[in-house]
Amino acid sequence: MASTVMATKPIALAKASPSLSPRKISIRAQAKPSSTSIPNLKSLTSKLLFSVPSIAMLAATPLPALAEMEKAGLFDFNLTLPIIAIEFLLLMVALDKLYFSPLGAFMDARDAKIRAELSEVKDTSAEVKELEEKAVAVMRAARAEIAAALSKMKKEMTAELEVKLAEEQARIELELAAAIDNLEKEKEEALRVLDAQIDALSEEIVRKVLPTT
Amino acid sequence: MDVISSSIKTYNIWFEISGVEVGQHLYWQIGGLQIHAQVLITSWVVIAILLVSVIIAVRNPQTIPTDGQNLFEYILEFIRDLSKTQIGDEYGPWIPFIGTMFLFIFVSNWSGALLPWKIIELPHGELAAPTNDINTTVALALLTSVAYFYAGLSKKGLSYFEKYIKPTPILLPINILEDFTKPLSLSFRLFGNILADELVVVVLVSLVPLVIPIPVMLLGLFTSGIQALIFATLAAAYIGESMEGHH
Repeated sequence: MASTVMATKPIALAKASPSLSPRKISIRAQAKPSSTSIPNLKSLTSKLLFSVPSIAMLAATPLPALAEMEKAGLFDFNLTLPIIAIEFLLLMVALDKLYFSPLGAFMDARDAKIRAELSEVKDTSAEVKELEEKAVAVMRAARAEIAAALSKMKKEMTAELEVKLAEEQARIELELAAAIDNLEKEKEEALRVLDAQIDALSEEIVRKVLPTT
Repeated sequence: MDVISSSIKTYNIWFEISGVEVGQHLYWQIGGLQIHAQVLITSWVVIAILLVSVIIAVRNPQTIPTDGQNLFEYILEFIRDLSKTQIGDEYGPWIPFIGTMFLFIFVSNWSGALLPWKIIELPHGELAAPTNDINTTVALALLTSVAYFYAGLSKKGLSYFEKYIKPTPILLPINILEDFTKPLSLSFRLFGNILADELVVVVLVSLVPLVIPIPVMLLGLFTSGIQALIFATLAAAYIGESMEGHH
């Protein structure tokens, strides 16, 4: 029994996946003989003789078995540590190739493109402002031109009109003067004629009125 | 004998019905060395989750991102911001390291809290977050140590070791001690948080399985996320600290 117990332990360790069951079974196997024994003196002594080594085994095996289980415990450093380290480094390389580099490059390119477009837009808005100012200046110049031309035209027109007016006035005055002269002449002629007639008439009146003389 | 057998029997009964198996591991053997297989299995699952989700989300990047791509762009920006804040202008080469650190720890912790690992019964030990094992956390902490040594040495060469006597040589033993306490604190902070949270949740669930454990589970999600952030931030801070100088 002792030898089987001692034999099961290394075998359990050497198995690819040691599980608790062989050890559990071995503990139970050790527990059985002592529990199925008959409680009388002879068997007691034989039990004692049997069970001292078995108790020793029981005491010994759970402790190292438990120790196997619990030496595990919380602070059990083994090959897991470097394996996890290697896994982490491989994961780092994989994530860099699949995620950090491609997505990072894509995001940076997108940012650069947006920044370039923004600066372009800012530049064209300056251009637009220049053009606007130019347009305003041109408009102002055009208006000023128009105003100047208008005023010039007005002046010319008024001057022409005045000239014409003066001409017409002069003509009319001339005509008027001529007509007045004519009228005057006619008046004088008429007066002369009348005078002659008046003289003749008055002589006749006198001859007729005055008795014979 | 009966006493011993009965105590052994009761021990077995308690052993079978207790749901808490702290310190129980599933052992595999390679050569003469043992491995905690449950840690390996869960770490493979975490790695698979990360790689598959990254591959699916990042193919065909659109100028205007949608769901998956948006999430991963946010994560990348977060990691870049974290690295830039801690390391400074030369943060570019360190993004994969800090990013993987953050993502691995975050997904490990949340997978331990959210995925129903207990459905899969192992012959010995149980599946849980890979970061509840001291090997994982110490591995990550040692990698961080190596990283910040590498950063300092590659930037400054051997004059990196002048930092041990700055500002005064009296602080030399403390500076040397720091090189041991940094990985120690990193590993134990993460290990303690994750293992303790798992234990609390398991004990609460075994006592009052219905509604009471939920706030503790939510707290566990929150703190495990924070622990991932803290680990990554401290790693970046150590790297930045060893790279800062008069260059």
